[in-house]
Amino acid sequence: MSPLIAPLIELHAVDYRYPDGSAGLDGCSLRIAPGSRNALLGANGSGKTTLLLHLNGLLQACAGRIDFAGQPLAAGRDGLNALRRRVGLVFQNPDRQLFSASVVEDVSFGPLNLGLDEATVRQRVAKALTAVGLADLADKPVHHLSFGQKKCVCIAGVLAMQPEVLLLDEPMAGLDAGMQNELLAVLDALSARGITILLSTHDVDFAYRWAEQIHLLAAGRCIASFAADQLPQQASALHAAGQPLPAVVNLHLSLCRLGRLAASPVPRSLGELASLLKQEENTCKFA
Amino acid sequence: MLIERAAYGNRWRSVSPAAKGLFALAGLLAALFSGSPATAATIAGLLMLASVLGAAVPLALYLRVATPALGFLALSSLSLLFSLSADATGNLSWQMAPNAAANIAAVSARSLAALAALLGLVLTTPLPDLIALLRRLRVPDVLLDLMVLCYRMLFVFSTAIEETRTAQAARLGYSTPRRSLNSLGLLAAGLSVQVWQRARALHLAAEARCGSGTLRFLTPQFQHAGRDTALAGLAGCLLLVIGACAR
Repeated sequence: MSPLIAPLIELHAVDYRYPDGSAGLDGCSLRIAPGSRNALLGANGSGKTTLLLHLNGLLQACAGRIDFAGQPLAAGRDGLNALRRRVGLVFQNPDRQLFSASVVEDVSFGPLNLGLDEATVRQRVAKALTAVGLADLADKPVHHLSFGQKKCVCIAGVLAMQPEVLLLDEPMAGLDAGMQNELLAVLDALSARGITILLSTHDVDFAYRWAEQIHLLAAGRCIASFAADQLPQQASALHAAGQPLPAVVNLHLSLCRLGRLAASPVPRSLGELASLLKQEENTCKFA
Repeated sequence: MLIERAAYGNRWRSVSPAAKGLFALAGLLAALFSGSPATAATIAGLLMLASVLGAAVPLALYLRVATPALGFLALSSLSLLFSLSADATGNLSWQMAPNAAANIAAVSARSLAALAALLGLVLTTPLPDLIALLRRLRVPDVLLDLMVLCYRMLFVFSTAIEETRTAQAARLGYSTPRRSLNSLGLLAAGLSVQVWQRARALHLAAEARCGSGTLRFLTPQFQHAGRDTALAGLAGCLLLVIGACAR
């Protein structure tokens, strides 16, 4: 992130210990730029979920400071509600988030808590369900939906509150390829609207393909933050976070060694790699 | 699950719950005020026809849902058949109750009519719609919140039970009666922990969306609610007239 852009969220050496004494975060510092697409990349137990819970005010740091829009996070009910109005969190397991039996009811829960009038809430619910492609399922009971659809209802429930920042805990976990692509399209559309997105994942291929900024977490600490296109140069940091290089980077390196592709540009996905190979083939034909 | 299937798959799904509630209430009152068993039985029959022919609830499903209640009714009727009496020496003896047949006919016919009225409501109205109706009727929030959570958790925990039971069965957990008992105990213990964890997770989820204690939701809107309620009122009056005329 350019130092000239003021961060929307900034963590300063945040510590958190769970009641059983285990460390959730340990001197964690990182910066999130407004409107950016961020991936928190780390192994299981590295503190990704703990960090997201802090950003929504569900956990309070034992030490250190978290700034939102230049101000330290406020304590107290009003301060937390003001924060949660601007920062929405989508949990990993939809069955742990959805407590109403019908889709419309559940999506309406957040905006009603904001004190909005019924007409505005209905409008927001319809808009949020359209944004995640579930407008047709508005009147369905939640337990008749697939896992992926439930996940989209969770996202709609947060979108209806019109947050500036969307936090997603392992959004791709448990989704098939089709649902993953649909969810990616939703995230792309939200990002295009200027919403700052921070998602946690342990899938380095997905993080490299999707994110603009990657934050590596290990043992509750952010050990590196870098632009996603810098990832091929971060092999040692990735190794420290228990992450391999993305498959597409390894494949590209092998093709470079064989002289089939140039070292630059580095593709971010297998699709991009295939396009580069095709281009190279066409160039060879014409030559 | 049978009730759930009927409630979401019947012809009156989009009819206002207020209209269906009014019709059911009229059915209950008609059952209460019916003078003779024949009248009560007629009302029961009409209510059942309304559900099966009007709302297109499959007859087999209707009867399966009614079976447990009918079983209880049969047991109660059996207890009405006999009476306990003491003779001059203080010995207790069983005997056929006087007017047993008439009493049983009156109670059973009335109960059947009341059952048909309630089945007509629950088999045509999904629970979220019923809860919304109760919310409009100013039922205390704490009761409604409990209903919402219990209804949702019913499906979450039935899935959890099914998954755990399958996992146990796959490792021979139910191969002998002794192991079955042990597995069942483990399942109950595991589920207790899950209940606690889920409750905590739901609390966090509500907090994350600015929840302040009460669960507030949008109530569903129904087209033609006024027309439906007027029609239900008319049909309800007809039931009451039938019940009252035959006194």
